[in-house]
Amino acid sequence: MTTATVAEEEPDHFDRFRRDAGLSRGELWLRYFELGGMSSAFQMEAFLYGALEPTPHDHDVIAHALNERFVELGGNHPVPYRSDAAPD
Amino acid sequence: MRRGPGPPPPGDHPVGELPVSSGDEPEEMFSLSMDVVRSEAVVSVQGALDEPALVELFSLLDTVIASGYSSMVLDLVGVDSLATTGPAAIASAAQRLAGQDRRLSIRSPSRAIEERLVADGLGHLIVDEEFELMPRRPGEPSAVIAKVVDNTGARPASRFVERAGAIPTDTDLVDSTLRLVVELARTTVAGADGVSVSLRRHGQLATVAASDQTILDMDAEQYAAGEGPCVDASIKGRRFHARSLDDEDRWPTFTPKARALGIQAILSSPLVAHSHSVGALNIYSLQPWAFGDDDRDLAMRFATEVSAILTDAGVDVSDDRRSERFQASLRSREVIAQAQGVIMEREGITENEAYTVLRVHSQRTGVSLRAWAEEVTGSTRPGHPLLGPRRDDGHRG
Repeated sequence: MTTATVAEEEPDHFDRFRRDAGLSRGELWLRYFELGGMSSAFQMEAFLYGALEPTPHDHDVIAHALNERFVELGGNHPVPYRSDAAPD
Repeated sequence: MRRGPGPPPPGDHPVGELPVSSGDEPEEMFSLSMDVVRSEAVVSVQGALDEPALVELFSLLDTVIASGYSSMVLDLVGVDSLATTGPAAIASAAQRLAGQDRRLSIRSPSRAIEERLVADGLGHLIVDEEFELMPRRPGEPSAVIAKVVDNTGARPASRFVERAGAIPTDTDLVDSTLRLVVELARTTVAGADGVSVSLRRHGQLATVAASDQTILDMDAEQYAAGEGPCVDASIKGRRFHARSLDDEDRWPTFTPKARALGIQAILSSPLVAHSHSVGALNIYSLQPWAFGDDDRDLAMRFATEVSAILTDAGVDVSDDRRSERFQASLRSREVIAQAQGVIMEREGITENEAYTVLRVHSQRTGVSLRAWAEEVTGSTRPGHPLLGPRRDDGHRG
């Protein structure tokens, strides 16, 4: 987990993080929705399985929902974002 | 005294092992433990596998076979002796599984036991020592459950509860695992004549695993009356113990019905998933005062196991709770959208860029995005009626 890019060759990327975070798919969607995500729970499933590619913005909202969960569990932000790490 | 290497002294149990519930030191002991990995059940045996132990083992194997696991591994690494009828019993279990296109394997027998198994034509069941369990992936249903039984064969004679065909069978692994827990609890908790697991689904309690029809009826009576130890444990999230129904006055509608079916004592332990009470593990007895401190502890251990299974399986919050969460989510979205607006206006950037600003701050500081959004909106519009009082990020359960 050293790069800031998403591994497209690894279609279960998000789903693996989701499982590691101990979140059900429904719970992850709710957290994503809570953070302003606009995609449906059905679309979210498709993102998790790699059947649909989220927009970069959607990708970051999902990543942040997962990362906030990892913070709750005492971790850092293991899920990489799409948009560049930010302005200083 | 022969004694297997398995059970540690009470008070020092490794995860997944249950304490011996009898107060006296048994003459001979063996232990059974089970690990469920995906659709494979691994049953480990330790100690002396004599006749009474074989009865216990094959009661468990029957349940495993009925539960639909695709394969079963019998790990004999800790077995130091095997009854003369052992090979025949193993052959019978293997045959039953083979008839359903499933497989029984034997792992790690001692040299002497291996020779006996080979002599009885069971050598083909023995798998290599190097055989490795498939690692469990996080989020998959799993259970590590053990029981320790004394070999004196002292099982209550008056068990009216036997596994009945009334329990619907399906291949869902979670429900199968719950049924297995029910069976283990029934055979392990002294005084247990019947066991069930109730879960709140779609706002209503339902029995998802039960040891027999009488127990299903017992649960249904409680749901219909809206009262009883199972209902209270499920809703209030703490243990309810009806020591003797003759002296019970907390559930006036339900209690007479239970007594009419011969039930005298009930112990309901709460099931918790993702910090929310979602149901109860219910243990019923035909005898009053059947459950002592040890049984209550044991029941709580089983309830903890079931809670872990439910959490793993993503059975989380009830519908009611979900509705509350959804309302909170809507408020959160509103606050975040307002904060984006503030930043867009201040920085002259797009909506998504404003989101990234919020997100990066959250990422760097560890403050949740919602809490930071509240900060941003609060700082520009103090006392905004839509935002309410400022709060910490304690909105998640």
